[in-house]
Amino acid sequence: MSLTTPSVRFFRITLLRSAIGLPKRTAGVLAALGLHKRLRTVYHPVTQDVAGQIFAVKELVDVQEVDQKLSDGQMRELRRPGPGFWVEKRVGQQAQEEVERT
Amino acid sequence: MLSRTLKRALLDSRLPLPPTFLLPWAAGLTTVSHTPEAGNVPPPLIDSAQHVSTDRQAMKSASKQPKSASPAHTAPATAPKLPAPSSTGTSPIALSQSVRDLLPLLQAQGSHYITAHIFDRPYLLTQGDTVRLPFFMKDVAPGDILRLNKASNIGSRDYTLKASAAAPKLKSSTTTTVEVLDPTSGSLASHSRVMPTPSPDSETPSSTAARTMAPHFIPHIAKGKVSYLDDRLFVCRAVVMGVEAEPMRVKEKTKRRQRKVKSVKSKHRYTILKVKEVRIRGVEEIEGGDELD
Repeated sequence: MSLTTPSVRFFRITLLRSAIGLPKRTAGVLAALGLHKRLRTVYHPVTQDVAGQIFAVKELVDVQEVDQKLSDGQMRELRRPGPGFWVEKRVGQQAQEEVERT
Repeated sequence: MLSRTLKRALLDSRLPLPPTFLLPWAAGLTTVSHTPEAGNVPPPLIDSAQHVSTDRQAMKSASKQPKSASPAHTAPATAPKLPAPSSTGTSPIALSQSVRDLLPLLQAQGSHYITAHIFDRPYLLTQGDTVRLPFFMKDVAPGDILRLNKASNIGSRDYTLKASAAAPKLKSSTTTTVEVLDPTSGSLASHSRVMPTPSPDSETPSSTAARTMAPHFIPHIAKGKVSYLDDRLFVCRAVVMGVEAEPMRVKEKTKRRQRKVKSVKSKHRYTILKVKEVRIRGVEEIEGGDELD
């Protein structure tokens, strides 16, 4: 029986509702989580500390538990649309092909 | 590149799942407390060299039921001139009977239109159209031939071929739906129905991650998302005509009680395409897997 390291689980936290009008403590918790704007998403490891923070702002966020955290760059890449086309023939390449054939 | 492989891995789902971040995720978001589910696994950073554009291989004619996608395996696809990215679903495409019946009718009609998506923006095109894209397309020269491979609709006067709408299967699996029975008729009991996870069986997290499960939803871009046709169904070519520039415009930037006025000049360029070919492949051509044209 081999020892397997336990997989680290992450909370995927998305801010859905703003803290405008709420006590400053609540806004402080959001700032501590890194949620400064609506619909921003952050990843935090599943620990008691983070769970407590989420519990403090539970009415404002959506939380999922995932196995992997994504960085901001990775999330941006996911949002990037695909081109929807590819270049079938290039003018310069055709000239190159002709040169190679001769 | 890590970023591109991640995206390709996300899109590489061969399950009957809609494109990952193309779903109305906003509907699934809630601030109600959830129980963690095993199915909530983000896709792994698989180093996939294959490009898979759309996940849905289902299509339907104007009035028929969609057909679910068949699982695919990766295989390289090449074109005579330049190596083409491997198209959606490198497995043999499975056409439903209704599509088989009506596709010849659609083909027989004279003129066709296509809603092609370039960088996810739709353009309603037909053969002979000149398109002024709202951006400057890099790395192309006038005379280059582009093959547009993302389309949501192809139609003629009486028929339209569309990709079936993405079912909201990938609602966050931690979401529950609480149903309360009508107190006037039934009992006051309520039961909670957890959204089913996409994977039918329980797997270890690592193997679950190997298949794209409930991926990361991105709610603010989930609006207006479409599902695409399989690109083996049609051929759409456009040639780059050239580049056009707008007239020079100057924006004056200054503040009140400040004499310094800064001028910023703008002269954007826009790529012009001309659509050379909009063609729907025949059933035999699609099923034969002949990709020479």
